[in-house]
Amino acid sequence: MEDDVLTTLKILIIGESGVGKSSLLLRFTDDTFDPEQSATIGVDFKVKTITVDGNKAKLAIWDTAGQERFRTLTPSYYRGAQGVILVYDVTRRETFTKLENWLNELETYCTRNDLVKMLVGNKIDRENHELDRAEGLKFARKHSMLFIEASAKTKDGVQCAFEELVEKIIQTPGLWQSDTHGRSVTLSDEDAGGGGCGGYCSLL
Amino acid sequence: MVLCDFDAVFVMFQTETEVFEITDFTTASEWERGVWNEKTEEINFADFKFCITHHFLEQEAENLTCDFVSDAFPVAMQDLLCMNNDFPPRAHCLVRWFGLRSFVVVSPGANCEAVISESKCNLLLSSVSIALQNSGCQAPVLMQVQQKWRRLFTGECQGPGVRVDFEMVHLHKVPTHYKNLSGLLDIFKNKIGCTLSPLPPINISIRFTYILQDWQQCTWPQQPPDFDGLFGGEVGGVEFGKVPFGACAEPISELHLAATWPHLTEGIIVDNDVYSELDPLQAPHWSVRIRTVDNAQCLLGDFLMEFFRLTLCSESLDEILGRSLTEEEGDHADISSALQKLTQPSASVHISKLSVSHMVHSARRHMRRRRYEESPLSNQSLNTALLFLFPDAAVEKTPEKSSPHSDESQERDADSYLHLKAAPLDSLTHRLALCLASVNHSQGGLRAVAHLWQEFVLELRYRWENNYLIHGLPSGPPDLRCCLLHQKLQMLNCCIERKRSRDEAHRGQSSGGTPPSTSAKKADSDKDAAPTTSWESWSDSEDEFYECVSDLSESNNSERKPEGRLKQHRDMRLLHTHQPLYIPVTQEPSPLTEDMLEQQSEVLSKLGTSAEGAHLRARMQSACLLSDMEAFKAANPGCVLEDFVRWYSPRDYISEEHPDEGEVRGGLSARMRIPGNMWLEAWDSAKATPARRQRRLFDDTTEAEKVLHHLSLLKPSELVLQLLPSLILSALGKLQEEGGSGSGRGAGRGAGRGGGRGAGQGAGRGAGRGAGRGAGRGAGRGCVHRCCITCLC
Repeated sequence: MEDDVLTTLKILIIGESGVGKSSLLLRFTDDTFDPEQSATIGVDFKVKTITVDGNKAKLAIWDTAGQERFRTLTPSYYRGAQGVILVYDVTRRETFTKLENWLNELETYCTRNDLVKMLVGNKIDRENHELDRAEGLKFARKHSMLFIEASAKTKDGVQCAFEELVEKIIQTPGLWQSDTHGRSVTLSDEDAGGGGCGGYCSLL
Repeated sequence: MVLCDFDAVFVMFQTETEVFEITDFTTASEWERGVWNEKTEEINFADFKFCITHHFLEQEAENLTCDFVSDAFPVAMQDLLCMNNDFPPRAHCLVRWFGLRSFVVVSPGANCEAVISESKCNLLLSSVSIALQNSGCQAPVLMQVQQKWRRLFTGECQGPGVRVDFEMVHLHKVPTHYKNLSGLLDIFKNKIGCTLSPLPPINISIRFTYILQDWQQCTWPQQPPDFDGLFGGEVGGVEFGKVPFGACAEPISELHLAATWPHLTEGIIVDNDVYSELDPLQAPHWSVRIRTVDNAQCLLGDFLMEFFRLTLCSESLDEILGRSLTEEEGDHADISSALQKLTQPSASVHISKLSVSHMVHSARRHMRRRRYEESPLSNQSLNTALLFLFPDAAVEKTPEKSSPHSDESQERDADSYLHLKAAPLDSLTHRLALCLASVNHSQGGLRAVAHLWQEFVLELRYRWENNYLIHGLPSGPPDLRCCLLHQKLQMLNCCIERKRSRDEAHRGQSSGGTPPSTSAKKADSDKDAAPTTSWESWSDSEDEFYECVSDLSESNNSERKPEGRLKQHRDMRLLHTHQPLYIPVTQEPSPLTEDMLEQQSEVLSKLGTSAEGAHLRARMQSACLLSDMEAFKAANPGCVLEDFVRWYSPRDYISEEHPDEGEVRGGLSARMRIPGNMWLEAWDSAKATPARRQRRLFDDTTEAEKVLHHLSLLKPSELVLQLLPSLILSALGKLQEEGGSGSGRGAGRGAGRGGGRGAGQGAGRGAGRGAGRGAGRGAGRGCVHRCCITCLC
């Protein structure tokens, strides 16, 4: 079974505490929703294999605690991630305004600058929205991210968010290929053309 | 072939209830340009060997074919008609003559004579034809005929119902009437023998290439490298921290200037033996190229290459230096020579400034060596190198914090090289890379590198044992973007820092007898002070011990004296006692290097994704939470979990206003109230203990020893691999620096060499296109931008 997996991708889920990071992940991996999902301590980890455009990818998803105090611990796990899901709660504006901080955090601790970012506005099943879609869109546009609104409770947009993210990662050259292919610097010899064919021909 | 523009992808997703859109604002990185590749096979025909090579352009998505041609034609035929690929910068000559992207060349193998006789040529050609027919191969196959140097090819390409013959004419001497466009067009029309009348207009691309080969008489555009300054006339006079640059001899053998007129139609431009409109100064496109001499002696390239070669040796430090250097010997002569060294006037330049402890240390260090004359690095060069690496060793050792170099470090475009896993410019790691490369280049190669590294590690150990911070490293936890070696050094510094602050607190307590409560208050006032106040000091204080006992005996812990307060948390009050809520002094998180982190994540991910696994994972990571809870309890006697949550995870405390009762009531969020959840569990098991009396979360002693052990076992080849990116960073900086000044000097060199214009090798393209190429003619201007770096791989 492992043979046909194209690649293993490291995905991160980050965002303020209580925005539903673990619930989104649980919905995606187990297709369940637990209203009594306990608060994550440090980082948690789940695996799921998905097929996008005929490519099978194994996702190692790292779910992080959102509490301020844990931020001394969790960013070390950002290393090597190819994709990140940034979550906010559409019913709580402060979780949206803090997004800038999370982006800074990513900038500081991520080892690669080409990772794919997806913004997810969670809990759209609730009534009391403090943020509309347009604001999320604007933020995503400003920071070159994918954007979707979702609800872990009603399933809306969850599968989609992960699939899109993976598709995007696979489409980005050099992001997921093994290090020997995508990331290494290739220096080639000036006269690699060999023979007399390397330069322009002159016949006098 | 589909060209995808990712910036414009907009995908719609339909679900039962609503339209969900994924909106994509990420930007795909630039498509890489194609790379020419080739595969070669040899076949034997009787006793004759043929070499068959498939040349092809590997492209990701760049579309060079033209859309108007039906897909039914073989790609090669479409390529023939396409004008985009007329003058590839670096490719097989057939590519330039026919515009092909994929083709097979059959040429006589090594030591086989050329195919010269006409009958042999025809035999081969018909064999090719049959082979193409049988295999259905649509790639053109070209045979190299006649002498190799003539580069004469003939061949064909077959598609469904179509066939293209590739023919070439090669003249030893160009007749005058073929030296211009109209003459070339004549021969071309003549050769294709087209029966259409009138003949459709022929598309032309023209390039004149002017080559300057002999230019020794011209002035040298670049300052020759300053050998004296670089390597010093005297022994040990090496200037560290600089990379050499420049070529020892003229590295450029030829200068090419190409004047190009792309995409012309016959009749637009007049060029015949009496009149020409092809004035190179008027050409729409110019390009310049240099050819370098083979194996040019370039200092920077050699410097890098020599350092890189060290990665190929597999020996360990001990094997290189030999046991004698690493083992202590009880030889009296050594001690006396070491002692003698202390009084030696020549070495006293900086020794006099050193503290005694350092003197003793260096004496001890030199005792380990049998005789320093025999060591790979001379004593003087070793001292110079160590002084370059540890400039603070020369000044009085005081617990100052600022690194002498960090301020002035050039921030020159460092950002653009962030993807290099190097170390910050002018950091200790960076200087180590430069220093080792210099030592390798000019002071004894591998053995000298090993020697210096050994001394370097000894110096680190000395600093750890004596609580001296290592200078030239950014403070804070290891920067995972830097190379592992840099992270290890930062880690060691973290350990030294913690040990120092612990010792300081310890000293403060034992000498002044300051009660713990005041030391905590001191921390109150100074927010930036390391909150890691003495983990071990409690064992000395009997009072503290007593308090612990009384804690147990008294059930009412709200009577307990508060300990380890950092500062008040806004104006919050404890829910039960209504005392101000204090943020406690907490333990700092453990710094991690990337290898430790990798280990840790592996352990965490190995726990699997089951509920038990997740629980275990949370438990493993709860040490920090528990420690914070204990500290919180100590700082806030009489507190409850709700109080802790209001500080630690404010969104898990939900307050509701009750206007009728005129008060605000609140409670824990649902997830915090789940019976048996980890937070509740941890809270129940947490004892009120201030951070400084808790078990250390970070064991600096063990970690420091681990780092030093790791470093001492590092093979020189591994060391070099770690440092290479830093050296490349320097090299890139140097190139940028030289490029900036060099281009000005190189520009504006007049070069005029007359030469007849010759349009040789007129190769008729099957589709009716001629390409004129000239070489010679004086070039009016030249602009040269030089930089020389030889390849690494």
